[in-house]
Amino acid sequence: MIQFERFSLENGLKVIFHKDTTTPLAVVNTLYDVGARDEDPEKTGFAHLFEHLMFGGSVNIPDFDAPLQHAGGESNAFTSNDITNYYDVLPAQNIETALWLESDRMLSLGFTPKSLETQRSVVIEEFKQRYLNQPYGDVWLKLRPLAYHTHPYQWATIGKEISHIEDAKMEDVKAFFHKFYNPSNAILCIAGNFELDEVKRLVEKWYGDIPSKMKPARILTAELPQTEFREQIIERNVPSDAFYYAFKMSERKSAEYYITDMLSDALGRDKSSRLYTSIQKEQKLVTEIGAYITGSLDNGLLVISGKLSPDVTFEEVDTAIWKVLSEIQTEKISTKELDRLKNKIKTAKAFQEQGLLNRAMNLAYFELLGDADGVNQEAILYEQIQPEHILANAQDILQKTNCSLLKVKAIQS
Amino acid sequence: MSLRNTAPAIHPLQKIQFVEPHIFDITPTVKLYWMQPVPDETTRIEFHFDAGTIRGNRKIAGFVNSLLLSGTADKTSTQINQELDGLGAYLDQEIAQELAIVSLYCLKENVEKAVAILVNAIQEVAFHEHEISDMLREKKQQFLVSSEKVSVLVRRAFQKQLFSNSENYNRQLELSDLEDVSVLDLKRFHKEFYLQGLRKVIVVGDVEPAYIDRLIDTVGAWSKPGICEFEKDFINIPGRLHIEKKDAVQTAIRMGIPLFNKTHEDFLDFQILQTIFGDYFGSRLMSNIREDKGYTYGIGCGVAESNNAGYFIIATEVGKDVADATLTEIKNEMDLLKVELVPQEELDLVKNYLLGQILKSADGPNAMMDLYMAAHLHGKDFEYYNDAIQHIQNISQERILALANKYLNWDKFTIVTAGTKV
Repeated sequence: MIQFERFSLENGLKVIFHKDTTTPLAVVNTLYDVGARDEDPEKTGFAHLFEHLMFGGSVNIPDFDAPLQHAGGESNAFTSNDITNYYDVLPAQNIETALWLESDRMLSLGFTPKSLETQRSVVIEEFKQRYLNQPYGDVWLKLRPLAYHTHPYQWATIGKEISHIEDAKMEDVKAFFHKFYNPSNAILCIAGNFELDEVKRLVEKWYGDIPSKMKPARILTAELPQTEFREQIIERNVPSDAFYYAFKMSERKSAEYYITDMLSDALGRDKSSRLYTSIQKEQKLVTEIGAYITGSLDNGLLVISGKLSPDVTFEEVDTAIWKVLSEIQTEKISTKELDRLKNKIKTAKAFQEQGLLNRAMNLAYFELLGDADGVNQEAILYEQIQPEHILANAQDILQKTNCSLLKVKAIQS
Repeated sequence: MSLRNTAPAIHPLQKIQFVEPHIFDITPTVKLYWMQPVPDETTRIEFHFDAGTIRGNRKIAGFVNSLLLSGTADKTSTQINQELDGLGAYLDQEIAQELAIVSLYCLKENVEKAVAILVNAIQEVAFHEHEISDMLREKKQQFLVSSEKVSVLVRRAFQKQLFSNSENYNRQLELSDLEDVSVLDLKRFHKEFYLQGLRKVIVVGDVEPAYIDRLIDTVGAWSKPGICEFEKDFINIPGRLHIEKKDAVQTAIRMGIPLFNKTHEDFLDFQILQTIFGDYFGSRLMSNIREDKGYTYGIGCGVAESNNAGYFIIATEVGKDVADATLTEIKNEMDLLKVELVPQEELDLVKNYLLGQILKSADGPNAMMDLYMAAHLHGKDFEYYNDAIQHIQNISQERILALANKYLNWDKFTIVTAGTKV
């Protein structure tokens, strides 16, 4: 059970406070309700590029990191297709330094040309390091547009192509800031050994004078229901053939989300899962296989991916995978298997909640979903899942007409 | 808005509350370390074995480590995995040069059962032929994939150059090693380095005291008799080596020198120097090579410690066109630290940052245990960190300059690059 208090400022900033009397540290976590899905299709990679610029100095403070380090702290951030999340961890007695820095960059950025120029290069190197210079590194750049035809999940957070980042202009950067970076579009979570009154006073002091703005309306092009099997083959200079089966699943807020999460665990989370034991261990058709969900806010994907053993064909593996998928759609899983999945989830959650930073991030994320207390309800939602739920969900999702298959054919160049 | 133009006052670090683990002698040289005050249901148990890659031949240690849960005469690997998963347990097997670690993460209520399954699996592993061939097939696949990464190619070559005088430390797995292996060799290694190779047990969890006694009874027979030998003097091959990798858009760089560990008198102060140089976001290397030039997504340095030695390493991946320019800038930054005093403001910032890092690395029972073990490996206890705080608070600009001149000598560095030469 993660305890928290909630309040908001007149300018629309939502604040969550989580008290932990055992730690000498404080966390200041700021979630902005903007991600790659909010980008212009011709200017992709922008939410992420912008995250880099947030460290390039704000309107009253030329350097973000140095004062925080001087206070004994450090900071980082990540961007997903849905959100941009910034966090600072520092000794509790210096929390004001973090509030000073975070509130100033919520007020306005420095927008120096040098910062834009440098971060463009840094992000391009990140693009190369993560997506281009790794074997199989670009599969998500291909799989997304195969699975999504109209929804902005069709591009990755890094962007569709390097040129979108190269072409970013200062005016684009400023427009992005003014649209998405304001108190009504943010959730601030503060964690540490403080009193609520003190937190309220400090937040009011640093954030109270930031002008309010309308929360930007989000009107995204919905993804039309998929009605046909999709397949694409790409050739790459990699050691072995690989496959990615992507099935559309529910949005994050639906009850089915948790069932599909557990379904993916049953299929391919660990070494007692069905795909692993059948296709890798018994039939030896693959050298690795797994199943997982993307966890996105709008309709997500359940993905089954793996690599073929030498001298095995895509057809052989395909037949074997559909056989496993057919089994889970025809016969209810045993309570023993279900308990195994539930126990793994319980353990994972207990370890995740050990970290102060994790707790702060989760509270902010669930507040975005509608209620920070959702973080405490999740365990019950998993616990309530029954074999018939898994069966129905599997029948619903694991259909060929709901599947996009990307194959990576290994070639020697 | 004058409020915003002035930084809030900084308050100095208060005293860190260290919590010592309980220590139990399994034998005079093998101990169990227990961190009991854990405010939740989680339990972490680690078994440390003298079964690192320096033992046996080039491949055997990694093979045995991968096969530890591959089945016994009575149980298949899948049965073992199902039993552990049924208890909600997570398992981690890792191997380094000087040790192999098997870690178990689960809830307190399941720990005794999960450990019993794990211990039986390790004790009775049968090395079935089909499990061995599965393992070889999967390792071959992983080897081929990792060989496509410049970060892996550069690491393999770097280790060869850095530990040039020690075959045990510099050897690297090769594709031909993955063709076959003798079952007898696996069994011999398992018997010598696991069943008689336990060096430490670590427990972080609020388990019953009586369980600690039972755990010692369960695994005590695995204790390593006598003392483990580790290399202490490494000789590197200085100078540059390039590993060509076709069609790579980035070049990976690793450079370093043999150095020391916590037992050396310069260790603490060198940590401060190398932090300034490249070990935090605002470091000289990051400021110059990432934030000014935009050559890379990241660059950093660090000191890696082993039982009797250590080394200093600088690592980055940069655009292939700027690999040489990056090396030039690294050298410039080294040279600058040798001729110019670090500005007091920068030194103060790094001091505060490092004090904050120590506070962070002592937050929570798991971090506290890791912090303790890092000192204990070199015969020290928490007093070491109080010493570290003193060193950080007292170090002068002149001392940094002197250390830079003593240790940052470009000509002594091994420099390895992997990528596409332009």
